[in-house]
Amino acid sequence: MSLTRRQLFGTGAGVGAGLLLAACGSSPSGAPASATPVPSGSGSVAAGPVRGGVLRVGALGKASSITRDPHGVQVNESDYLILALVHDALTVPGASPNVAPRLASAWEPSDDLKRWRFTIAEGATFHDGTPVTAEDVVWSLRRLRATPAGATRLPGIEAGGIRADGRDAVTLTSAYPNSEVPLLLRLTTFVLKEDTKDVAEAPGTGPFRLESFRNGSARLVRNDSWHGGEVPLDAIEVRMFESPQAMANAMLTGQIDLASNVGAVAARTAEGRDGVQVIRRPDDMAMPIVMRTADGPFADERVRLALRLAVDREAMVRQVLSGYGAVANDVLGTGDPAYAKDIPQRARDLAQAERLLGQAGLDLSQTYELFTTEDIPGLAESATLFATQVREAGLNVKVVKQDPSVFWEKTWLKAPLYTTYWGTNDSVVFFAGKTLGSDAAQNEAGWKDPAFDAAYRKAVGTVDTAERAPFLREMQRIEHERSGYLLWGMADGLDLASPKVHDLPTLPGYGRVQLERAWLAT
Amino acid sequence: MAGHLRRLAVFLAGRVALLAVLLALVFAAVEFLPGDAARSTVDRGASAADVAARRAELGLDRLLWSRFTDWMTALPTGDLGVTARGEQVSEVIGRHFPNTLLLGGLALVLTMAAALVLGGGAALRPLSWLDRAVSGTSTIVMALPEFVVASVLVLVLALWTGLLPAVTLTGTTGRPASWNMLVLPVLALAVPQIGWNTRIVRASLADEAAAPHVEAATLDGLPPARVLLWHVLPGALPAIAAGAATSAGMLLGGAVVVETIFNYPGLGTVLAGAVRDRDTPLVAGVVAVTGAVILAVLVASDLIRDRTSVRRP
Repeated sequence: MSLTRRQLFGTGAGVGAGLLLAACGSSPSGAPASATPVPSGSGSVAAGPVRGGVLRVGALGKASSITRDPHGVQVNESDYLILALVHDALTVPGASPNVAPRLASAWEPSDDLKRWRFTIAEGATFHDGTPVTAEDVVWSLRRLRATPAGATRLPGIEAGGIRADGRDAVTLTSAYPNSEVPLLLRLTTFVLKEDTKDVAEAPGTGPFRLESFRNGSARLVRNDSWHGGEVPLDAIEVRMFESPQAMANAMLTGQIDLASNVGAVAARTAEGRDGVQVIRRPDDMAMPIVMRTADGPFADERVRLALRLAVDREAMVRQVLSGYGAVANDVLGTGDPAYAKDIPQRARDLAQAERLLGQAGLDLSQTYELFTTEDIPGLAESATLFATQVREAGLNVKVVKQDPSVFWEKTWLKAPLYTTYWGTNDSVVFFAGKTLGSDAAQNEAGWKDPAFDAAYRKAVGTVDTAERAPFLREMQRIEHERSGYLLWGMADGLDLASPKVHDLPTLPGYGRVQLERAWLAT
Repeated sequence: MAGHLRRLAVFLAGRVALLAVLLALVFAAVEFLPGDAARSTVDRGASAADVAARRAELGLDRLLWSRFTDWMTALPTGDLGVTARGEQVSEVIGRHFPNTLLLGGLALVLTMAAALVLGGGAALRPLSWLDRAVSGTSTIVMALPEFVVASVLVLVLALWTGLLPAVTLTGTTGRPASWNMLVLPVLALAVPQIGWNTRIVRASLADEAAAPHVEAATLDGLPPARVLLWHVLPGALPAIAAGAATSAGMLLGGAVVVETIFNYPGLGTVLAGAVRDRDTPLVAGVVAVTGAVILAVLVASDLIRDRTSVRRP
């Protein structure tokens, strides 16, 4: 299913062929094609990108949370979208490999994988015409490092470890060998001119330059001298929406051409309607249930396995995600090219789950609390359905909904059982470093596993992809077997678009903002 | 005259004191909500130390009372403080409040015009089919929450018939991009208020119609419309003005819901987000300016009442 859609919304001429297939109803899976075929007569489709046109994009955001700082905390999708079109990060998400060049055209590690040299793309200039220098990059990365979130955004790299190396290269020195440095630079390493004072209006280096900004909405026009190549669209108008419902209504009545990350409810409403393509970006959001391993009722490995066996994954995907997702196998990083597809999929086995709970001697007369929050759609619903399912294995779970600020302060990283979510699912190693390693700063389950740590160290300490593969496989095997995560499924990222919009991003997570290749059929 | 002015001053002072008490309550209420602005404005991965530093930066480590008095003492100078994201509260409000005033103002004008026409029409012919129809519908309509009205309006007038835009888009000036985007939000806000005010107009006109001087005018053979406008309406005005003042408050309150549904770039959406973020200065700032507007409307309505009631014996 997802493969079909990948083909459908793939690059270049593939789009034309894919749409023809869909039009003939020969979608291999037999499922109703969610993409509405382009009406016959629009001959431009097969011809490839058409230059010109203004793409009107809706993105979620709250008026009270608007941020203009590229290195600030961006809660609003709309803010991040605007920033990511105006400013280039050093690298961007890719399909395979999962990191692609952007402002950095190439990178090279030292032998010990501690020092990384990034070359600035040739011909990269700011919107005012001045070339990008190593000093600009160093200043920007140090500015990012100095923000409260700097340590988590550039893990292992201190401000002093960010240095210019000649006019067009920058070296980053990590405190430990880290093969993932290029990957870590792909989200927020936006580059501004050295000593920029007014970051909100500062010229960027990206495919679009900011023409106007008002109340969270912006108009961006094409940067004709973008180093990354030709940009088809004349302009992008980003409109901020407070609610997904309002955004979907705007999409359905033709007020916008693209509703970015609009969610399952809107997609379900739009499915089958004329004049709307539903774009599914697989592996977008992980919503695992975290079982604390360090102490408490779930410290026993058998109890955790019992819970993993008690969950009905298909039902979760069907009901919580409205079917817009895929069953997962308790391993985070499903979008990684190195994801271990060969580990057998865990399925529901209530008898085995009951047996394990009995063996572990868990007190089944007690009620265990599962904490959740309504941060993202479906999260609280997943907890409720899970509680119903495990009751069939004899375990009483009560769902406790918390206010987001309480949840992140009191529950996250601490409670024995809670829901969480991650939107960066394109790297197994990313999760290992962030949430699974013994000394990971955000070790959500309090998990410490020496064998896992050893495999992780070997993986991040090896450059060669082939040599690294067995270590990555080993990490995933251990994670599948005994970590604190119950990852039942992966939610798709869902966008709605008018049929005239082509070459929209299909990558999960932050890949959704890469609109520089999109074009409009006339 | 001096006595009149003094009465007004005392009255105004009372209302301002009320607003101050309200603001103190708002400060306390946000404080007692779980969580705080430091947590809601840092990355999810921020450590406890980062959050503590942020807390200090925002002054949240200080006592609630001292934060409140600081904020209140700066208030008369027009300084509404700084939001948790470092913007001037007055700027955030300045960007959005004109839109809400436009929305609320139009809705109030529509409400009162419709209520006077409908209520007046019904009062002219008591117990006629029009009177019964108006009374019946107004009761139903005033019980409808804004979000129900808004959803039906979007469904019928935007999604099915495509007559009007479903949502409001912000133009480059920060105002709604075109006038027809105002129609649905104004209607959604006004419809429940029209129901409520129509009933007030109808009832107060009926009460007034029973007054001796009106009976005299009718017996003099004046045409019903003239009696209504010149003899009945003036006496009914105090009640109608009070109804309008109440509606002004309800309209500003309803804006939170309606603005979200229509994506209208107003203050209601700012308030909703500010409460979620526990952004006390922003919440208090919004309450202060909307409170001041409602206060002004109440004073105006009281003045109308004052004027119209002294004229009568």
